[in-house]
Amino acid sequence: MNGFLEYVPGDSLLHRLNPVAKLLFAIVFAITCFCTGNLVFLCCMFALGIAMAASCGMMKQVLGLMKAVFVFSLILAILLVFTTPQGEMLVELPWGYIGTGSLLAAATTIVRLEAAAIPLFLTFYVTKISDLSNSVVKVLHVPYKYAFTFASTVHFIPVFMNDMKGIMEAQTARGIEFDVGGIVNKVRLMVPLCVPLLVSSVRKTNSAAIAAEVRGFNLRTRESGYKQYPFSGADFVVLALAVGLLAAAICLTVLL
Amino acid sequence: MTIEFRDVHASYDTDTPILKGVSFHVDDGEFVAFVGTNGAGKSTTMRLVNGLLKPEKGEVLIDGVSTVELKTSELARRVGFLFQNPDNQICSSTVREELLFGFRALGRLDANAEARVEEIIEEFGLNPDDDPFLLNRGTRQLLALASIVVLDTPVVVLDEPTTGLDFRECVKVMRIIRRLHESGATIVMVCHDMEVVADFAERVIVMSDGRVVDEGPTFEVLRNRHTLEVASLVPPQIVDISLALSLVRQDLRGTPVTQANDLDEMCDAVAQVKDVEYLGARGLEGGSR
Amino acid sequence: MIEIKDFTFRYRESSSPVVEGINLVIPDGAFVGITGSAGSGKSTLTYAMNGIVPHCYPGDFFGSVTVGGLDTCEASLTDISRIVGSVCQDIDSQIVTSIVEDEMLYGLENFGFAHDQIEGRIGRALADMGIADLRSRVIASLSGGQKQKVAIASILALEPKVLVLDEPTAELDPASSLQVFGLLARYAREHGTTVVVVEQKIALLSQFADMLVIVDGGKIRFADAPADVLAYSEELLEIGVNCPRATTLMNRLAATGLYAGPVCRDVEEACRALSEVIL
Repeated sequence: MNGFLEYVPGDSLLHRLNPVAKLLFAIVFAITCFCTGNLVFLCCMFALGIAMAASCGMMKQVLGLMKAVFVFSLILAILLVFTTPQGEMLVELPWGYIGTGSLLAAATTIVRLEAAAIPLFLTFYVTKISDLSNSVVKVLHVPYKYAFTFASTVHFIPVFMNDMKGIMEAQTARGIEFDVGGIVNKVRLMVPLCVPLLVSSVRKTNSAAIAAEVRGFNLRTRESGYKQYPFSGADFVVLALAVGLLAAAICLTVLL
Repeated sequence: MTIEFRDVHASYDTDTPILKGVSFHVDDGEFVAFVGTNGAGKSTTMRLVNGLLKPEKGEVLIDGVSTVELKTSELARRVGFLFQNPDNQICSSTVREELLFGFRALGRLDANAEARVEEIIEEFGLNPDDDPFLLNRGTRQLLALASIVVLDTPVVVLDEPTTGLDFRECVKVMRIIRRLHESGATIVMVCHDMEVVADFAERVIVMSDGRVVDEGPTFEVLRNRHTLEVASLVPPQIVDISLALSLVRQDLRGTPVTQANDLDEMCDAVAQVKDVEYLGARGLEGGSR
Repeated sequence: MIEIKDFTFRYRESSSPVVEGINLVIPDGAFVGITGSAGSGKSTLTYAMNGIVPHCYPGDFFGSVTVGGLDTCEASLTDISRIVGSVCQDIDSQIVTSIVEDEMLYGLENFGFAHDQIEGRIGRALADMGIADLRSRVIASLSGGQKQKVAIASILALEPKVLVLDEPTAELDPASSLQVFGLLARYAREHGTTVVVVEQKIALLSQFADMLVIVDGGKIRFADAPADVLAYSEELLEIGVNCPRATTLMNRLAATGLYAGPVCRDVEEACRALSEVIL
């Protein structure tokens, strides 16, 4: 049972890469997607992302993510269709028209967002959050406090989701029907339940801060980490690949 | 109302089965305790009773009707469920609102409901205008129980109702549950505290590794050495003493000492052996709990 | 040694003190059980020992609490935490990472233990708690009982001089609870660890603890060897503490003149005594 952004244990190449390399690759990859409007190139990027997910057995998680991103990007795409009168006219609108260019722009947006999101999310699925935070502290010299804040935020996501599940179950047992009447009804029923969730989260984060402090939080330095995160050949290859993709995207945009 | 499990298999994700073919029957008006180690499948069984989880294979029947066929609200009208953590359940800003919540959810909010709420507030000794979030853990648990009892469901399921409570709170909660049982409700309870099980349950179902390994009248099960061994159970202390005595003292076998199940019985038995009349304090724990 | 002198504490938001006039001396290597009804102040007493009071919860602090020579009021929480390992009541908030192994590493890394010691400490603590097989598991996928064991193991790995645990067996079944208490007793005996446990299950305390502290209404009512405290089963019941039934049984027989021996703390002792009574 794995939740949102939760590490899935494994031993694939992606699992074994240096966390910093993975993070940098994902960020550069995303930037690359926004550097070009070339649909063919973006499709290649998208395919690459899918291939990466397949290589580490995360297709299920990535498909779930793609669905969510698709819903979001579809809204943007529809807006684009109606507001960018480009290319050959297909449908006339009072304020302009929908053309082949509009459809192309919409498709580009969807593919771009999907492609950009995959490696970013994949990073969380194949990297322990502690490795990620420890390595950015050690390699990138990010202050530990920030890394820890980030790590505990992510750590608490499943805890709170679990709480929410428990709360919804308790109410279901009392006859509240979350499963009928669609999403609007569900949200309407869930709003009052945010009170107990809020109460328990405030309580939890408070005691979590204390628990961290009595276990030497303030003593932690960059050297404290037990694990070392040296860069291997594969890490450099991955980073080179990221830079290569970025360069290719910029060239495409400038040349075409 | 009866509960019947017919060869039920269940899991949260298909890879790790939790229940591996569970069958049992709970009669109308019975008080049954489920015992076993952490991870034996007791809580999962409870969730199947009120349909929060549906069986992958087999059937769960409430009064002969499968939980698959019952809607959430129909199940909620039949089965009241007290969760381990009262914080998950309480979501209103006053005690009275919390008690009315269930009626509202079931669409039964009327004058009768309000009268019933007042009655329960009286019975439980709660203050209707208190803010539930400012109450201590024991009182919150009591409120959670009250909000189940108020609905008068024929079946009440309790998942470790005494965990985290001190002795007095535990006595208070269990007395209410006993009264509920006496008024005719079918009670199904998961409990780790064998003293509580011994004091209250009529029948015990023992689970281990997703299966039922023994069931029967409370003390028959709790005195079965093989069962205790298989399910890693620690029997109630008086039973433990009586069992141990029957092992080391051949001469006492068959006497009341090796058959005593609670404090009073044991005191009487010892007095009988010593040929004196036992006149000590009576019913301080066992009887009054 | 833990020394508490005339300790009174009132939380800022409450009108009356939660503990009042506490005097308690706990020698090194002692296994101390604290119990009492809800709201009696037993948790606050442990907060005073691990410095959470007054460092995390503000309020009026009177008297003094010293742990291993450190005045918990003056020393920083970090300095106290080098001596005192704490297991909190709410496991979900005690756990700060997402993987069992990382949870084990967290404190060890912070306190800067030599890297060649870390592996051994993790292995030992996990094995002691009987959860070596959980090492690479995602914590969110564990059961409450398993999480509780992880939380305890992560503190045991630090091998602190003093262990303070607030209801460490709340989520555990009786067999696991026994195992945890046996382990704590072993740490006290073999490593000289001072163990302070708040616990509702008094049968566990009387079986394992060297000293039983009963708190009622913010004051210490009893603080003595379990047998000496449990002799007062009627008085204890009045303040909401129910003795183990084995103890109550023999106390009752004693009251009727059928038994004249020492107080029985557990089933084993009661059995032996009863066997003699019925000779």
